[in-house]
Amino acid sequence: MTAARIGWALLAAIAAFGILGPLLAGDPLRQDLSATLQGPGAVHPLGTDQFGRDMLARLTHATRLSLGFAAVAAVAAAVPGIALGLIAAWRGGIVERALVSLADAVMALPGLLLVVLFAAFAPGEFLPLYLGLSLALWVEYFRLTRGVAASLLARPAVEAARLFGFGPWHVLRHHLLPELAPMLVTLLAFSAAAAVTAISALAFVGIGLRPPTPEWGSMMTELLPYHAEAPLQVLLPGLLLALTVLGLQLVAGARR
Amino acid sequence: MGGLTRALAARAVQALLVALVVGIACFAMVRLLPGDMAFRIAAGRYGIDLVSGAAADAVRVELGLDRPWWQQLGAWLGGLIRFDLGVSLVSGDPVVDELKTYLGHTILLAVVALGISVLVGPPLGAWLGARAGSAADRAGLVASAVLRALPAFVVGIGLILVFAVGLGWLPAAGVGGWQEVVLPAVTLALGLAAVSSRVARDAVAAALHAEPAEFARRKGLPEGAVRRRHVWRNAAVPVVAYLGVQLVALIEGVVIVETLFAWPGIGHALVHAVVARDVPMVQGTALVMGLLFVALNALVDLLTLLIDPRRRSAA
Amino acid sequence: MSDLVLDGVTVDGPQGRIVHPTSLTLRPGVPLALLGETGSGKSLLMQAVMGTLPPRLSAGGSVRLDGTDLLRLDAAARRALWGRRIAMLPQEPWAALDPLMRAEAQVAEVPRFLNRAPWAEARRRAGEALAALGLARGERRYPFQLSGGMCQRVALAATRVAGAGVLLADEPTKGLDTALRDGVTALLRAEAEAGRILLAITHDVAVARGLGGEVGVMLEGEVVESGPAAAVLAAPRHAYTRRLLAAEPAAWAPWPRAETGGVLVEGRGLAKRFGAQRLFEGVDVALRAGGRVALFGPSGSGKSTLGNLLLGLLRPDAGEVRRAPGLVAPFVQKLYQDPVAAFAPRRTVGQAIEAVVARHRLDARATTRWMEALRLSPGLLARRPDEVSGGELQRFALLRAMLPGPRVLFADEPTSRLDPVTQQEVMDRLRDALAASGAALLLVTHDRDIAGKAAKDVLALGG
Repeated sequence: MTAARIGWALLAAIAAFGILGPLLAGDPLRQDLSATLQGPGAVHPLGTDQFGRDMLARLTHATRLSLGFAAVAAVAAAVPGIALGLIAAWRGGIVERALVSLADAVMALPGLLLVVLFAAFAPGEFLPLYLGLSLALWVEYFRLTRGVAASLLARPAVEAARLFGFGPWHVLRHHLLPELAPMLVTLLAFSAAAAVTAISALAFVGIGLRPPTPEWGSMMTELLPYHAEAPLQVLLPGLLLALTVLGLQLVAGARR
Repeated sequence: MGGLTRALAARAVQALLVALVVGIACFAMVRLLPGDMAFRIAAGRYGIDLVSGAAADAVRVELGLDRPWWQQLGAWLGGLIRFDLGVSLVSGDPVVDELKTYLGHTILLAVVALGISVLVGPPLGAWLGARAGSAADRAGLVASAVLRALPAFVVGIGLILVFAVGLGWLPAAGVGGWQEVVLPAVTLALGLAAVSSRVARDAVAAALHAEPAEFARRKGLPEGAVRRRHVWRNAAVPVVAYLGVQLVALIEGVVIVETLFAWPGIGHALVHAVVARDVPMVQGTALVMGLLFVALNALVDLLTLLIDPRRRSAA
Repeated sequence: MSDLVLDGVTVDGPQGRIVHPTSLTLRPGVPLALLGETGSGKSLLMQAVMGTLPPRLSAGGSVRLDGTDLLRLDAAARRALWGRRIAMLPQEPWAALDPLMRAEAQVAEVPRFLNRAPWAEARRRAGEALAALGLARGERRYPFQLSGGMCQRVALAATRVAGAGVLLADEPTKGLDTALRDGVTALLRAEAEAGRILLAITHDVAVARGLGGEVGVMLEGEVVESGPAAAVLAAPRHAYTRRLLAAEPAAWAPWPRAETGGVLVEGRGLAKRFGAQRLFEGVDVALRAGGRVALFGPSGSGKSTLGNLLLGLLRPDAGEVRRAPGLVAPFVQKLYQDPVAAFAPRRTVGQAIEAVVARHRLDARATTRWMEALRLSPGLLARRPDEVSGGELQRFALLRAMLPGPRVLFADEPTSRLDPVTQQEVMDRLRDALAASGAALLLVTHDRDIAGKAAKDVLALGG
């Protein structure tokens, strides 16, 4: 209970930073070559990077980007995954077998490899990252929903509901969703964490989003050569990323 | 051995699916990427200065780029199955030859990382599981949660800054002696051990008070024999099963960590090929990476069959 | 061989005394069966004797064996007696045996570690112990390859191979059908006849009768009556013992004959397979309006499957089922073995019943009427299914099934998970509900006596 609360508090603080920060901080792209790699000070609370750009402005924009990306990618994976999982469990037969085969094909490769293949179409752009991540992540929702729904549908309670003349909506509302919802919330947090990590990792190795877009992973790549002069600047994006993932994991329940 | 045949057949299907997914993606890449594919392949083969329209046409006919798309896809996948992976657009060398050197490095890194994580994670977890609820157990929980929240490249940068830059004990990049493999392997192993120690901890804590262990105690067995014969073995079943799940993280980590440490393996090559849009190399590296994933999974399957007689039955 | 003497044994928990001072003497060769319902404290009494009480509970009084008071010994000294002097059969052997170890090894490790026998010698003794129980060919198998009865024998062999003279058995027949139950009872009786002290806990009077020897009846933490089984079971003095005996299906009054009408459901030449296994074939059965048919057989005989075929919930592999026109949901209703699984877990019992009333636009007063007839308290409506006792929930399930006015009620082992007194209560209410509504009953049961009392037509399957 307390772990989940710490997680929510962390996420709330990071979200506030990402949503309110861009409104207050300055332009994340404005260079000032006369003030590069400065330490924290009155003008630049978190210092500047190698082009003299304000670190606070860049970090808060990067946070907004990552959180928005994770939310959209997780939801874009959840909606088709849950829907297809329910359809597979409900219909069974050839529909289920076809969907399971499709899921197996996606699962054959580790998810990040799939995203890399998509990123190769148009390195540095958003759309392939979204598509690749959603394609890799929907399978988790599909498998969970199908597995849980199938076992719930086999329960005597569902057979009884049918004998009382209740239709699919009643079964969905009273027998499936109440049991599925907590598991799906957990999965939502896990897949958001996976999305946040993936986008930063890909940007870090240079095949995701590219500079000058403020993004945690690419900021670390850019600043790494200056670790001696500006250790704080290298550290901060990684710290924000780790806190976000930690918050999501704590919310998900520290298990798995 | 019905279980063995079934497991291997499932992995063979997975290997085919890997080839299919990678092949179709790379075929689509060739068709959708801007620029004339035949021209780029000819340039890769003969050098950018010597390439001419005639050479490009020759390549076009040779590769069948003038045929309908579905015939091309069939030919493309056919080549993939025969492991005819073409020529790198960057170096001009056959992709297969390049992959051979990369693969050795990747396997070395993956095996060392997996080895360290297996030697650290499960034993530590078992030790904590036998002390579930103690201060050490709670500290382990916090440490594992923090470590799991740190992505591999952040851990890697931290290790480089401390052990390579700060202390100067180990090299930060490259390949050569045993020193170079330590930091990338430890980076990967830390993430894996953070999870496997938790799985082992939960499995041991459960197995210690599960019915088979309680029954063994009531039979009169001394506690040492109860642990050795009934607790560790039963706890190993979920730990090994979870090893299969962790292989996803291992392969994904290899791509990132190899790039960070300039480790000349498949993942490093994949990233470079994507940046250079060298489609034959993208295809070759992704394929080999996927097949390595399948092979490691098959090994985990065998381990599971070895431990658990229920999996060996044909039913 | 000394007696095992319990003198004023108590068990106390954080909420107070659970087992009141209990004195019993167990003699070699004379089995003692402790009879009582769930929560009567009989399991805790046995755990106090064995030394396996949960940490929050504590035992008082004395348990004397070989001149020592076991309750004065420390945990290590008590554990040293396990297997060698005092042994306990696991409640559900199929869950207690190690799934990863062959049957022989699970027996052989006992002489290996308790008597320091070399492995070859230990295996030889394990083989003998298993062969003595008729399991000579099961020794190389893993538990998942053994039937429930075989698991029971392997566990017994492992429990007694080190020569313990005191055998404790906690609900040894839990989850077994009648035939297996009688087999285990005979096995335990043979243990006592070989000169061991045997204490068995059961809620099944038939087990106590089958063991012979002595019997003690426990109610709310007290032994209310004890003595030779033959005397106590033939002439019970305490009211609770009489109720327990009256609750035995064999002692029930047969249900009154019902007026029957035309055929509602008829199956001819029915056959069904489950994978490679043939459940049944060539079965003919007919249920008339207001009639009662019982399908009886051991577990795995396909009796529930046959019921589902007749209701149209499954299709037969061969043969045909004919149902009277209009015999569809909701005029066909079903009761399940596990009533908790028959309700949506997160809604209250009242919500589940209201949903049926609303769906079929029924008169809300019908619910109240049925509540009274089934002796259900309105306060229970606000609880969730897992917060209501099994007997009450099964009666709620019966109430819900009766609301739409069914013409056929399929009761699939409706009382097999209930204590005997509760079982009788539920079956009596079922009888009254059928009489009031005129619905026909299709009853599936593994108990021959219940089948015979409830129905005139009994169809035996398998076995």
